[in-house]
Amino acid sequence: MRLINTLLIGLFICLPQLTTASPKGPPTPLIVATWGGAYQEALEEVLFKPFTAATGIDVQTMPYSGGLEILDASPPPDLIDMTQNAAMTACEKGQLMPLTFDHLPDGADGTPASRDFIDDGMSECALAHLVYATVIAYDTRAFKGYSPTRVHDLFNLEDFPGKRALQSIPDANIEWALRSFDIPRESLYSLLSTPRGISLVFKRLESLKPHTLWWEEGNEPVELLESGKAVMASGYNGRFFSAIAKGSPIQIIWNSQIQEQQTWTIPVAANNKAAAEDFMRFATTTQRLAAVAERIAYGPARQSASSLLHKHPEGFDISHHIPTHPYNNQTAITKDVGWYARVREHINMRFLEWRSGTP
Amino acid sequence: MKATLGTLVRTSYVAGLGILIGLSAAVIANLFVAGIMWLNDSLLISPRSRMMASSEWLLVVATVLVPASGGLAVGIIKHFINDKHFHGPPDIIANVQTRQGMPATRSGLLTALASLFSLGSGASVGQYGPLVHLGGLLGSLWSRLFRMDISTTNIAIACGVAAAISTIFHAPIAGILFAQEVILRHFSLRALAPIAVASMVGYVAANTILPQPPLLQIESAEIVHFWEFGLFLLLGMASAIIAVVYMRSILWVGQHARAMPLPPLTRPAFAGASLGVVALWFPEILGAGGETLRFALIDEAFSQWELAILLILKILATAWCLGMGFAGGVFSPALLIGSLFGALFGSLVAVFSGATSSAVVVYAVCGMVAVTAPVIGAPMTTVIIVFEMTGHYPLTIAALSSVALASLTTSRLFGRSLFDRQLHQRGLDLSGGRSKALLTTHNLQSLITPECLQLNADTRVEQAIQAISEAQVSEAYLVNSDGRYAGTVHLHALVSAASEDEARRYCQPDDLYLYIDTPLWESMQALQDFIGERVPVIDRQGQLIGAVVESDVIRAYLNILAEMRREEYAPH
Repeated sequence: MRLINTLLIGLFICLPQLTTASPKGPPTPLIVATWGGAYQEALEEVLFKPFTAATGIDVQTMPYSGGLEILDASPPPDLIDMTQNAAMTACEKGQLMPLTFDHLPDGADGTPASRDFIDDGMSECALAHLVYATVIAYDTRAFKGYSPTRVHDLFNLEDFPGKRALQSIPDANIEWALRSFDIPRESLYSLLSTPRGISLVFKRLESLKPHTLWWEEGNEPVELLESGKAVMASGYNGRFFSAIAKGSPIQIIWNSQIQEQQTWTIPVAANNKAAAEDFMRFATTTQRLAAVAERIAYGPARQSASSLLHKHPEGFDISHHIPTHPYNNQTAITKDVGWYARVREHINMRFLEWRSGTP
Repeated sequence: MKATLGTLVRTSYVAGLGILIGLSAAVIANLFVAGIMWLNDSLLISPRSRMMASSEWLLVVATVLVPASGGLAVGIIKHFINDKHFHGPPDIIANVQTRQGMPATRSGLLTALASLFSLGSGASVGQYGPLVHLGGLLGSLWSRLFRMDISTTNIAIACGVAAAISTIFHAPIAGILFAQEVILRHFSLRALAPIAVASMVGYVAANTILPQPPLLQIESAEIVHFWEFGLFLLLGMASAIIAVVYMRSILWVGQHARAMPLPPLTRPAFAGASLGVVALWFPEILGAGGETLRFALIDEAFSQWELAILLILKILATAWCLGMGFAGGVFSPALLIGSLFGALFGSLVAVFSGATSSAVVVYAVCGMVAVTAPVIGAPMTTVIIVFEMTGHYPLTIAALSSVALASLTTSRLFGRSLFDRQLHQRGLDLSGGRSKALLTTHNLQSLITPECLQLNADTRVEQAIQAISEAQVSEAYLVNSDGRYAGTVHLHALVSAASEDEARRYCQPDDLYLYIDTPLWESMQALQDFIGERVPVIDRQGQLIGAVVESDVIRAYLNILAEMRREEYAPH
């Protein structure tokens, strides 16, 4: 296994030389699978267009909304914007290229890349580029008098009646359900590992079931809140931020936000690995990471980039909208991606069984 | 000026001592806990690792084999301990109470290793006992390095204990209280300063070096009615019964394990394997049970039947593991047993009263401390632990109501604590307080003078009178040809006797003699009605060793009391 890894890494290092050595014809375009919406618009602006300008390599995007099915797509993407959790699962299955990080530039303040990236930012097959949060947000028009402030309020139909829009996967829903029993965030995954914890979770979610609208694409919860079809919704903080920046009546509850890293990965099946690696290096410099964060309000994966964050293009201070800002970070739950990578199938099955009503 | 400078130097010495011991104890305590967690994760004991296990059969095999092989390792380690028993808080208490100085280092370290294996492999034992013991041992090692006297060594031991408690519970005040309530058993100003420093340092270090999450975090616990305080008192009394059953089970298994036809080396392995088999159906009984403890605080987590079954199983599992020779403490299982019982009590209250009573978390916490406090003999410490961990004042008062009656009831039914009971079984009675304990652990050995008049048992009266007069004493001890003591003859009894008679005919049948290993306490009792200057001392075979002078015994008695007072009241 180690031998194969070494060979693959060796091949990976040689590839850039191979591609740059052929001057004939336009370069093969780079196919990037990413998440659409306001998020993709920001990436186009800050990463894709400048990359094409700098290298002449065209960037084609492929819609992606999580999961591992994308790895079977044809033609395969060269680069995938994966959650850390999906990357870990795919890496264990051997579907992603192992990476080396020696070629990454130092941070803008001179910190070597290995120390500049956040903890666990560099893993076997993935390089973190931002920290996003799954948060609960609410329609500010929905409640008169007092507003929801913490995760318990998601399950409080008495004081905060109305539809909830929740993502149709176990992630975040199960953490919040258990958290609503006052379980400390440090113990969440230990207790979610017991049959008793799981049964408590589904007992809690059951009380919400008749009031739930399930969403799949990242933009849906924003639309459901804007249209008034839901009063509370789970969603990615960047999507809610973009809507708020445009004046939507939405407020984020930072309490019990669930943080996860977003990573760049290269599938084993990719056709244009050299360009993918060039892009990865291009997109994760201090300045580019800060530029993305300023538009979409996710936390940059380099510490040197966090200190550069300042103004949104519209002119307001962005730092308060970043999930990793100390003020927002106090009750944050760090998603246990190692746990998910191992229990994914089991927990998905339990979730599906519960949703379809079979005990 | 000079005096002020001296005071400052001495105060800095005290503070420095506290900082050194506090820091090192905190690091060791956190390392120990991290080690247990690492073993639990690697060996498929922790729920998280069990959930993530790659296959069902691997889990089944590990559940039985891991505790069994852990038990085997523990059995082997025990073989290398000189006195063949694992050390723990009782040994620390005995060392401090009888002013014997250093606890045994080698046995102590081997015990810590055995505890790590026991807890790491999922035995149903506690982790706090080993940590308290380790803290005390560390304190005494520092005292040896600085060549401290016995009183300061005792304080150093207490510092280590306080820092360990403070680190693992994030509860510095409870650490101080535990060291004084359980270990030192006095509240002197002299001891308070270094102990408080060690405890504070432990608390600070706990949050910075290898920090471990606190045992208990409770966000909200509301007491709905004031009449529920009556129920908390009642819960306290009922918990006392559970505590007594728990402690008696541990002692009972311990006594009967010796009669089992199994070599001591393999007993823990057998206990581990059988624990693992039961754990295939009830994995909650494995290890210290932190997850189950957390669930016991939630209303809907258990049915009443589940609570009752787990309560019984946990008592049995812990008694089984400890009695069969695993190394570990009694505190964490007591916390779990108590909270299960409290939750059961609380849910029954809800059923029978029909009223909206307080959340089950309040009853679970009350039960938790009411079972634990009498087991370790530390009512105030456990109440303060609740306060420091939750910061919840009404909850603390509720816990206090339960603890008060639980401790009183248990002391009547059982004794001050399991520790004191275990020491009593080893011959150290702490029920009469520190002074009695000290006096019962010192014997006559060092007071014996060989200068006494010995005569053959067949000596005639005339010869005896002559010998006594020449020696200028008033009595002589008769000894058989084999050196055995045969009685005492007094000059005043001989003067009126026939000179050709054997002197032994004039011995008083009830003349006082003492054994060489008679404790000072009993010697003082015996001397109450004694008139004379010396008392003969013999060994258990009846050989005459020498005599003690009454005034020497009294002086030794006063010296011990004075030393004790110095430890408690001396200004520095």
